[in-house]
Amino acid sequence: MFGIAQGVIGVLSIFLALLLFLNLLEVQTVFNAPPELLPLYLLILGLFSIFSVINGFFLIKEWWR
Amino acid sequence: MTNKKKYGLFSAVIMGLGGAIGFEIFALLNYAYFDLAGPSMISALAFCGIINLVTMLSYSELSAALPEVGGEYTYTKVAFGGIISFMAGCLRWLASIFGGALAAVVFVDQLGVLFSVFAPPIQDLVLVNASILIIGLVVILIVLAIRGVEEATTFIVAAFLAIFILFLFMSVGYTLTPQNIVPKASPNSLVVFFATTAYIFPMFVGMRALVAGASQIKNPGKNVPRALMITTILLTVVYFGVAFVAVGVVPFDMPRTVGDPPLLNLAASMIMGPVGGILFAIAGIIASISSVGTAMSVQSSILGGMSRDGYLPNMLQKIHKRFGTRYIAIITSSLFVIFFGTSGAVEFLGYAASFGSLLVFALVNLSLIQLRRKMPRLDRPFKAPFYPLTPLAGIVMSILLLTFPVILRDVNAESALLSSLGMVAIVLVTYYLRMVKREIDFNRLRVAVGGICFGAGITLIVLTPSIAPLSLFSIMILVGLVSIIAGILNIAASARKID
Repeated sequence: MFGIAQGVIGVLSIFLALLLFLNLLEVQTVFNAPPELLPLYLLILGLFSIFSVINGFFLIKEWWR
Repeated sequence: MTNKKKYGLFSAVIMGLGGAIGFEIFALLNYAYFDLAGPSMISALAFCGIINLVTMLSYSELSAALPEVGGEYTYTKVAFGGIISFMAGCLRWLASIFGGALAAVVFVDQLGVLFSVFAPPIQDLVLVNASILIIGLVVILIVLAIRGVEEATTFIVAAFLAIFILFLFMSVGYTLTPQNIVPKASPNSLVVFFATTAYIFPMFVGMRALVAGASQIKNPGKNVPRALMITTILLTVVYFGVAFVAVGVVPFDMPRTVGDPPLLNLAASMIMGPVGGILFAIAGIIASISSVGTAMSVQSSILGGMSRDGYLPNMLQKIHKRFGTRYIAIITSSLFVIFFGTSGAVEFLGYAASFGSLLVFALVNLSLIQLRRKMPRLDRPFKAPFYPLTPLAGIVMSILLLTFPVILRDVNAESALLSSLGMVAIVLVTYYLRMVKREIDFNRLRVAVGGICFGAGITLIVLTPSIAPLSLFSIMILVGLVSIIAGILNIAASARKID
């Protein structure tokens, strides 16, 4: 269950990064994200999403076995 | 399949020019002139030519000694193998992605400039629907690439050179007033100068197409180094001349608004009238389309090569039954081109393409040094002169050009560098996930990833009160808790299995 949750969090983080990058739904305003820090936020979200997806994948694989 | 050697020196030079002369001159000079260095952009162009010449000496030696298909990927594989060659392949692929995306953006810009001359309402329509046009362009080129349609490189190179020569010829009677083309000797001017050099560097890197096609060139030991030197000199002269004229007629402090034509188009219309504007817009459109097509071809062959060597999934080297092309690799790469192209961020893409190429250049120069040490008896029809100064100079220049735009606090450069570093991190993770085979290594990796998520979860919970809006407070705490628990579960499950 935690594997699936972690995987979903990872995927949603990617979507959030996309929303921030393209400023859809005014998310930059919602998060008070200053434009000069945007690349940093995107990098953090990107790395967090990758590791979350991988972490979730390992747990799902373990459960599947 | 055997590679038939069919190209002589002239064709090799055309190959180099065809790879280099493209959309970049229409896209990159604009920001470099109006927002970065002003007239001293011309000196930055000349400096780019010198840096490129130094690295091409390394390329010349390596391509003469290892004339196999693959270019940088082959050189780093023979010199280092493992993660380094994988990194070189991925960086080359990324640089090509960013370059292809930038070309797609320039296509729309130039289309808008074309219509601005005789149908301004359509220009507005073009600019508003830029993303759709970019997607449409890439989809059409995907179909052509899968079908294996080859472009007429010789014709395109000849057409470009003719247009540029006409532009230079018609400027002869024009009063050119470029001032301050040499940067001032102040710290800030020098930082700006180097940042500009980094930004416009992609104008030269395309000549690597010559190296990638070395296996098809007759007597590669002699012809490839000669062609690289000739191409570099020709390119530097042409670019310098065109930029000198453009800077001479267009004042860099002229008021600019969104939708104004880029520097080269503006200069062409000032010297050659509306016909000049239309001619350069058409040239820009052709260059962009050609560059996106070339980028797709390069990207798919890089992915196919790395898939063949086991770094990437086998499906990427799958060949289309009817057309004989790597259609999965073409489609995969094109999705990235669409994603970055629809951002429309010219300055970001320019820096990103440059940074990827600079990192690859550094690895190629390192490969030269490594091969001289590791394989001193390798047959080298051409040897880079002044070794080890030339490869060391290439490495130092690459590092300097990577750092100066960031020192300048150019937001686009910072975004591009951070994105490039983020991509490098993804490349490293991909490599270790792909290449780890032993059960114990796999479990160690699992512990490492679990630890990272555990730490990320704790960090998120600690930082949430200070960074999260109230509405998202509980969600972020939940995300942090899930990360912590999932991390602990992976660590606990794997730690038991490690000896």
